[in-house]
Amino acid sequence: MARFVTQITKLAVRTICVQDSQFLATASRPASIFKIRHITTSQCVRAERWYTDKHEWITVEGNIGTVGISHYAQDALGDVVYAQLPDVGVTISKNEECGALESVKAASEVISPISGKVLEKNEAVESKPGLINSSCYEDGWLFKIELSNREEIKTLMDEKSYDQYLKSDPH
Amino acid sequence: MALIRNVQKVPTCWSIINRFVSNEPISKVPDDAIRKSVFISQSTDIYRNLALEDWFYKNSDLKNHHILLLWRNDPCVVIGRHQNPWLEANVTAAEANSVAVARRNSGGGTVYHDAGNLNLSFFTPKERYNRRYNLDIITRALYREWGLKAHVNEREDIVVHGNFKISGTAAKLGRPNAYHHCTLLVGVNKFALSTTLEKKESGIGFTNATESVRSPIKNLTEVNSHISTDKLLTAVGWEYLRTKALTIEDGGYGLIQCQKGFQMINPTEDWFPSIDKLTEEFRSWDWTYGRTPKFSVVRILQMPSRSGEVHQLNLTLEVCNGIVQQVKLSLPSGLVPKDFDKDASVVTNLQGTRYTPEVAEQVVAALGCKAIIPKLNQNVDKSNVAANQ
Repeated sequence: MARFVTQITKLAVRTICVQDSQFLATASRPASIFKIRHITTSQCVRAERWYTDKHEWITVEGNIGTVGISHYAQDALGDVVYAQLPDVGVTISKNEECGALESVKAASEVISPISGKVLEKNEAVESKPGLINSSCYEDGWLFKIELSNREEIKTLMDEKSYDQYLKSDPH
Repeated sequence: MALIRNVQKVPTCWSIINRFVSNEPISKVPDDAIRKSVFISQSTDIYRNLALEDWFYKNSDLKNHHILLLWRNDPCVVIGRHQNPWLEANVTAAEANSVAVARRNSGGGTVYHDAGNLNLSFFTPKERYNRRYNLDIITRALYREWGLKAHVNEREDIVVHGNFKISGTAAKLGRPNAYHHCTLLVGVNKFALSTTLEKKESGIGFTNATESVRSPIKNLTEVNSHISTDKLLTAVGWEYLRTKALTIEDGGYGLIQCQKGFQMINPTEDWFPSIDKLTEEFRSWDWTYGRTPKFSVVRILQMPSRSGEVHQLNLTLEVCNGIVQQVKLSLPSGLVPKDFDKDASVVTNLQGTRYTPEVAEQVVAALGCKAIIPKLNQNVDKSNVAANQ
């Protein structure tokens, strides 16, 4: 079932991705057009969203990243009852604890996948934490961040590697 | 307590353990390469014990070493990380009775502690966090020692005699470590418990703070009068040591011999560098009250008019980070022109002060009105004689 949902999500994002990957190729990574093209032809969507081994995701548009938690993470957490998000304006660094998600009986730390300055937090999620469960890749995003070091993205997994990672090990 | 003398460190076990201390991933560490310790805190100060727990969480290398921390407290009420103390407890009564109010780092609901509770914190790497395993250790200890049958229900509470809770449970998951802690009711002062957790009609609403689920409780001494916190501490400690690290499988005395055993812990700065700072953070107003999710307090004021009619006004206090930010009066619609904002900000020197239940009363008194406390989104109809987790 979980895999089925993931598949659907991938399909849903595919359309958006086609436009964005063009954007990525021209604006953000001019030197690697070939590489991006390669990815678009083989695994279209999967280059778009980057993952940490701790199940956060980030998408990047220009210099602004949007951060959330993966389907796997929300499933493992169970119903989220409270989302404590980083305040707008604070500077956080990669791997730093920047918030907490509380599910029925555990408070789980939110770790930033990237360094930068918080531009916006998802207030809809603060007032309705269940969005993280129902729409972890769309409406349930957590915060937007202005990247201070784009190179850090290279340390993250693309969707394909992340899928592999999920299959490889208990987490 | 004469617990330490029973456990010997056997050299053969040392060598087995050391062989496995390497850089292999956590999931590859075999069961017999994980040793266990039972630590018993010698402090009964809730803030210091929370700091000790936090210290282990932040500083332990748990890859080859699992820890069970056992601790007891002087009377206190402990709220979950994202809760509102004024909604969960009778803060005024607690202060009057020298019951400490503390906020912990883990999620979940509010509990009352005194010398009749035993608190247990199970530390593992996040990958090996297993709440059911820990709860099973407790129920097995109760059965082995006293033949007492306790069950873990669907909410993962330990219950006896049907659905009476004897334990509440909460957890904190981080990187690389996680802990699951719970409290066992052995011989808690139930009167103090219900007084402290009594939910007064406070008019607090419009908040997304997490709310406790209130449940009927029972002390273990009511089930079996031979049980005491000291005996339970020993029983659970032994059960933990004789059980394998990754599966709930009895290893008997042979396994106990391989463990690190019991240790008394004195949570002082000498033993745990910077624990004093952590303790003060837990003790601070900024943490306990200042971390309360944003909320509003509403009072309905009654104002007699010249015509003899009684108008109602809503007084709203908006509280953010425990500080009163806004005091608003909303006027009855008949009194204001249609295109006029019904909300009027009230200029008061109470803005910027720390919220206490008295603040709302002061505003009401200053306006010279009679106030009614509205019923907001609280479950006031539920039983007060309950522990919440």
